Amino acid sequence: MELRIAPQMTVMEKLEILGAAAKYDVSCSSSGSSRKNDGQGIGNTVKAGLCHSFAADGRCISLLKILFTNECIYDCRYCINRRSNDVPRVSFTPDEVCELTMEFYRRNYIEGLFLSSGILYSPDYTMELICETVHKLRTLYRFQGYIHIKAIPGADPFLIQRAGYLADRMSVNLEMATAEGLRAIAPNKHRKNILKPMRQIQNGITENKNELTLYKHAPHFCEAGQSTQMVIGALPESDYQIMSVAESLYEKFSLKRVYYSAFVNVNEDKDLPALVGGPPLLREHRLYQADWLLRFYDFKVDELLTTERPNFNTAIDPKADWAVRHLECFPVEINRADYRMLLRVPGVGVKSAGRIVAARRFGNLTFDDLKKIGVVLKRALYFITCNGRMMYPTKLDEAYIVRNLTYQNQMGRGEKLPFMTDGTSYRQMSLFDEPFLGHGNVLQQTVGQGHTVLTEAG
Amino acid sequence: MEEKYLICEDSLEGIFTGIYEAYALRNGHEHVHLQVGEEENLRLFASYMYISPDSVKTDKVVKTLRMRLGEHVYHSLCRAAASCYSDKGEAVYKTVVDALTGGSGRRVMENLGNPHVARCFELARYTANEAHYEIEFIRFQELTSQEPSQGSVLFSRIGPRNNVVPFVMPHFADRLSIENFMVYDEKRKLFGVHPAREEWYLVSAQDAFVLPELVRSEKEERFQDLFRTFHRTIGIKSRENKNLQRQMCAYRYQDYMVEFEKNEKI
Repeated sequence: MELRIAPQMTVMEKLEILGAAAKYDVSCSSSGSSRKNDGQGIGNTVKAGLCHSFAADGRCISLLKILFTNECIYDCRYCINRRSNDVPRVSFTPDEVCELTMEFYRRNYIEGLFLSSGILYSPDYTMELICETVHKLRTLYRFQGYIHIKAIPGADPFLIQRAGYLADRMSVNLEMATAEGLRAIAPNKHRKNILKPMRQIQNGITENKNELTLYKHAPHFCEAGQSTQMVIGALPESDYQIMSVAESLYEKFSLKRVYYSAFVNVNEDKDLPALVGGPPLLREHRLYQADWLLRFYDFKVDELLTTERPNFNTAIDPKADWAVRHLECFPVEINRADYRMLLRVPGVGVKSAGRIVAARRFGNLTFDDLKKIGVVLKRALYFITCNGRMMYPTKLDEAYIVRNLTYQNQMGRGEKLPFMTDGTSYRQMSLFDEPFLGHGNVLQQTVGQGHTVLTEAG
Repeated sequence: MEEKYLICEDSLEGIFTGIYEAYALRNGHEHVHLQVGEEENLRLFASYMYISPDSVKTDKVVKTLRMRLGEHVYHSLCRAAASCYSDKGEAVYKTVVDALTGGSGRRVMENLGNPHVARCFELARYTANEAHYEIEFIRFQELTSQEPSQGSVLFSRIGPRNNVVPFVMPHFADRLSIENFMVYDEKRKLFGVHPAREEWYLVSAQDAFVLPELVRSEKEERFQDLFRTFHRTIGIKSRENKNLQRQMCAYRYQDYMVEFEKNEKI
């Protein structure tokens, strides 16, 4: 290391390089662990997590997300820090990382530290560096806030275990949904090596839980669980493949979160897609919506997608898409339906479903009450009845409902997307979708056409 | 029957004293209303009664509410009473009535079919949400104290719509227990003060109070610059989305945050 010909950099320059190098890591949550301050140092953690700022791309900044070093012995095609790239290489010292974390944390800029790293010399060496740094932060600086550590695949299990006792959350990135995809795009990484630490962390968490029931003051191991991340749109995987992998990660590896990251071709690699319209944000958005359906709405991937329909509908969200294809379950009577069925109504979320169940004990609910409770009536009205009546007469017809839901989209009153869409599929429809009131037949026909456009797009 | 309006002070104590007096009238609750602050348009066929805050009566009300409705409901009522909307008095009062005499009891906050409860719920949620945002977006700056032995003081200025300082302080008192810090609500001229390793308290400044010039510590500027750098570099250029940024963190918070351009109010 002493022989490297690079000028001594200031902390500011290092932060600029190593912050930028870490920005493609999506996870920035600080939720899942709850710890009070013990009066000896600074910090606590909040169960729900806190976002302290928002970057220019609208993503939350909750943790000080940095790489320890951007030197790397690997040559992954999608990564800006791959060995073959000519970028300035720097490393923090443990003290620099600790000081930045402490001073940012005191000023309430951040909720904790997210430490990742390029692979310096070997996975073991890197993992040990990360452990050293975090150990120093926890003991010498007495930091009690949130820490997220990236487990380096291939590192010694002992080091990973040590990191787990220092961190609130650990993550190993799956990178690609399929093992073949990973081989093609990251020649130095192997699916087996990625799943091994994931399994180890899962077992560690289970053991720790048992330990904690016996000994209240036993040290916590990854209290906030583990997460992972997949790159979306770099390879021709279908949404069905991606969601199936996510589902099995949740079920078999008890992950807290799976993150999806719209691919950005930072290296302009000739073998990777050159995204003309920018990163596939709509696709990423649909995957997150489906992810929420898996985790909080009791859906299964097979209900949302099939091998015949392997991708999500771009025009309507996965939940509405499921609902219009299962009209036999609707309309749902708000005052009677069970909680699980309420959750499946578009426009009713986890909170409003809970509130409906609680509030209807006191008397029948009306549409006015639903509005106050927080139900999005403009989406829900096609699928619900209150005391046996619909809000106003509507047809329980797939084409009709899809048309109305997407029509609202064009008027800017429908689904709120967190970004501007190019909306090609919407505009194709707009020719037909002027409100030709009173021309029932024409409408019916155009609706039919519009709908085929939609399903093809999806 | 004649409508009766009880006019009380805009504070938790004022509202709770108002509720006490409303019950003391023993006149049913249908025609009694609680109003915070002066009415601009006086109503015909209504009588007005001015209530001055009374700590003994407040304590009685607080004790009853906590005992019969539980901490959860009590906190919701407190949050609703900290709201910036003037119909909060009526909403809190009628919610209490629904709980104590309407029979919904401890579950009153679930009775959203009742319009007063729904309003109270809404107000409480608004305050709670804003308090949550302030917990996230408060930016402390390190000031040098005049007594070098006392170490540094972390200071933050905020301008929230609702009176959230009392709800924000417990969070920071736990998190930064070993620090001296202060949160200043410039709209209400209210300080939340936390001396290191001690209990926090509220200090209300007089209307004419003007915040003196702040003396920042030597390293303050450096860390603000570092954070600005971090904030700038962490964004992904090809995903830039200022609308989303504004949606997640409104301009009225950005005004007080070091990393944003329009931070003239810090």
